[in-house]
Amino acid sequence: MTTCKDAITLLLDYVDGALPPDVRGRLEAHFGDCSPCEEFLQSYKATPGLCRKALEHSMPDSVANKLSDFLKKELGKAKPG
Amino acid sequence: MRSKPPETSARVSTPPDDSELAQRAQAGELSAFEALVERHRDAVYRLGVRLLGSQADAAEVAQDTFLTAYRKLADYRAEASFSTWLHRIAANFALMRLRQRKVANEVGEGEEVEDGEGEPSFNSRGSLLDDVADWSRSALDLTLDHELRDAIDSAVAKLPKDLKEVFVLRDLEGLSYEDVALATGLSMPAMKSRLHRARLALRAAIDTFYAERDDGAGGRG
Repeated sequence: MTTCKDAITLLLDYVDGALPPDVRGRLEAHFGDCSPCEEFLQSYKATPGLCRKALEHSMPDSVANKLSDFLKKELGKAKPG
Repeated sequence: MRSKPPETSARVSTPPDDSELAQRAQAGELSAFEALVERHRDAVYRLGVRLLGSQADAAEVAQDTFLTAYRKLADYRAEASFSTWLHRIAANFALMRLRQRKVANEVGEGEEVEDGEGEPSFNSRGSLLDDVADWSRSALDLTLDHELRDAIDSAVAKLPKDLKEVFVLRDLEGLSYEDVALATGLSMPAMKSRLHRARLALRAAIDTFYAERDDGAGGRG
C-alpha cells in the first residue's frame, strides 16, 4: 500500500512522468483517496512556476549600457573564435 | 469619385533567428553578435541575479558570458539552441563565483535554513501530518503582490547553496537535467534529490506565507 510518505518521496519522478506504469498507478490511486496528498501535489507542481514569476529580473538600462561599452572595447581586441 | 489607392502588399520581414545571427557573427559581422547580446542579455542577467542574489555580480557574469561567447563562437553549432549554449556559459560563470564565495567564506544574504527544514512530517504509518492547503490556483491566477514576491525571494535566498544551485538552474533557468548535472558535477540521483528538497522547502515557505495571511484574515478553511 502506498503511504503519504511514499507518494511525496516519489513526487519529482511522478511529475516528470518518469515512474514505471505500475508505480504511477499506485500513486494515482493514493492521490484519489488522500485529499491532503492531492493538494500537496498541486502546490508542489505550482512551486517552480510561481518562483519563476516572482524572480523575474530585467537588466537595468545602466547595466545594459555598461555591458555595451565593455563589449565595444573588448570585442575590438578579440576575434571571434 | 475618388479612386481607391492601389493596394500595397506589406512586406513584413521576419527578424533573423539566433542560428542565423550566430552564423553571421561567426563570419565576423559584429552587429549580428550585438543583436544576440540585446536579445539574450536579460536572460543571462536574470540567471546571475537568481543564482548569486547580487545585481553587481550578475552584471559581471553577463560581461564574462558575452565576451566568452564571442571568443568561442566557433564552438557553437547552428543545429543547437543558441540560448541553451549561452545559458551553459552563464551558468558556469555564476557557479564559479558562488564557489569562490564559499571558499572566501563570505556572509550570505541571510541565515540559510537548515537542510531538511520545510520537509513534510509523517506519522509512524507514513501518513501526512501537515495541514495542507492547495494555494496553487489562487497563486498563479492572481498577479503576484509584492509581499508574496518578497516572501519567495527571501525563501530562495535562504535555501542551502547546494539546493539553490540545482533549483535555480533547473526550475528557474530551464536547463536540462544533463546540463545541470554537468554544470554542478553531481550525479543524476544526487541532483534530483537536491531539486526535490529545494522544491519541498520553497513549497513550505509559500504555504507558510498563505497560512499567515489567512490567519490574519480569519483562519484557514
